[in-house]
Amino acid sequence: MADDASSSSGCAGNIIDNSINQDELIMKQQREIEKEISETIPLVGELEDLSSLEKEYNEDPVYLLKVKDLSSKYKYIRRTRPDGNCFFRAFSYAYLEHLLTDKSEYNKFYEIAKNSKEILVALGFSQFTVEDFYETFMEVVQRVGEQAGGSPDALDSVRTELHDKFNKQGYSDYIVVYLRLVTSGQLQTENDFYQNFIEGPRTVTEFCRQEVEPMYKESDHIHIIALSNALNVGVRVKYMDRGEGSQVIAHDFPEGSKPLVHLLYRPGHYDILYA
Amino acid sequence: MAEISEKYNTKCPGVKRLMREAMELAEATEEYCARPLEDNLFEWHFTVQGPKGTDFEGGIYHGRILLPKEYPMHPPHIILLTPNGRFEVNKKICLSISGHHPETWQPSWSIRTALLALIAFMPTPAEGTIGSLDYSPAERKILAKKSVSWACSQCGEIAALLSSTTAAKPITEEEKTVLNQIAFKAEDEQTAKPPEEPAHTQEPEPQVLESSEPTNSFLDQLTEILVALLVGAVGIFIYRRWNAHYPTSETEL
Repeated sequence: MADDASSSSGCAGNIIDNSINQDELIMKQQREIEKEISETIPLVGELEDLSSLEKEYNEDPVYLLKVKDLSSKYKYIRRTRPDGNCFFRAFSYAYLEHLLTDKSEYNKFYEIAKNSKEILVALGFSQFTVEDFYETFMEVVQRVGEQAGGSPDALDSVRTELHDKFNKQGYSDYIVVYLRLVTSGQLQTENDFYQNFIEGPRTVTEFCRQEVEPMYKESDHIHIIALSNALNVGVRVKYMDRGEGSQVIAHDFPEGSKPLVHLLYRPGHYDILYA
Repeated sequence: MAEISEKYNTKCPGVKRLMREAMELAEATEEYCARPLEDNLFEWHFTVQGPKGTDFEGGIYHGRILLPKEYPMHPPHIILLTPNGRFEVNKKICLSISGHHPETWQPSWSIRTALLALIAFMPTPAEGTIGSLDYSPAERKILAKKSVSWACSQCGEIAALLSSTTAAKPITEEEKTVLNQIAFKAEDEQTAKPPEEPAHTQEPEPQVLESSEPTNSFLDQLTEILVALLVGAVGIFIYRRWNAHYPTSETEL
């Protein structure tokens, strides 16, 4: 790639090519890092005891205090691959897992999910691509619904199935794409409200095209607020960083809701927490 | 299609998606058509009509679409085969939102989006982007005329591939915002293999045009350097004359 850029700058003789060259190099490096990550960390990992976090921060007193605080409320953690899609993947995994044991919540969610496609098509998304993602998404949702509230054995088998699907790139990414679309749909439907959260001169639609709909784009507060509002699901995010104090601060989305999904945030990444 | 469903795992979302797109694009339109190769769902051939009111009007352009195995999570690559004066032929080009990385491809876009974007992008200035050509309007018009009789060894006469009656589906809101932002450029070390079929007609002339391209810019560069040297020499000359005339100006202060 570098060769290509430099040889062409040789004949075209303009400065633009140099910057392309730099960009390309950075991108190439980034792709290599991404590849390495994807080869070593599963999309969604197994349940781990929270003590595994303690080991991770063995020599880090600030984080150790915070892990201690965290372990007073949570017992387990499930890690996700840090590929920029971790919020959507962690959220959907944790929520579907919860729905297995909460039939009435499932029924409520099913109605919302069923109507979501029409909202997106009405916003101008191409019908057949939206349908494509919607169908795969609903296929997984319906599998959960068939077993929700069932016997422990049945639940175990569907949990394994869910775990497999979330670790198959095809299925897993389709679920992420659909939730990205739902998030974008919510932002665009309520664009007057969400415009306030967007820094700089971008419109809500531009923000969606650049930061929400593309895969691998990291999620911020605004993504979480929009998705939790769109699906009417309470999400609690525990923020663990180098900030002062020994407490891990929690944020509930939407504010004041009852959280059904618990996530751990460390700068740049989300994992799932279990009480 | 029947063979394809036997050959591929239709439960795999990417395969399901491509079969869906093949159905969606089965009927040719006036503006574009595309279909997968008989034996490979991940390689398509397409034909587009040159955009009206531009140097490409009346032209018909044919090419290949290569779909990565991660499609639709990763963008398709496009390779133009018909000489057109805007993109190099036999070179992989990729679409992205201008000013951003190709990672801004969105899975909700499709082969149709890519083709619409290609048509919309053809008349934009090449600006020295890799894989772009900056032929003169006259050269492009000649190529547009010639393109009508161009034939693909696999698909035959390309002029017959487009429909003469069916208009493409109207452009959606999403596509509208997308088309304004999309850019194409070549990526990778692209020795994108020239397609196995060397059976094209009328090759010599476009090649002549292509080889004249680097020479032109080399000459331009040489001229620029000469002009710069000349300006520099004149500057020094004037400066020295000035000093010669007013040799005492500094001491007076």
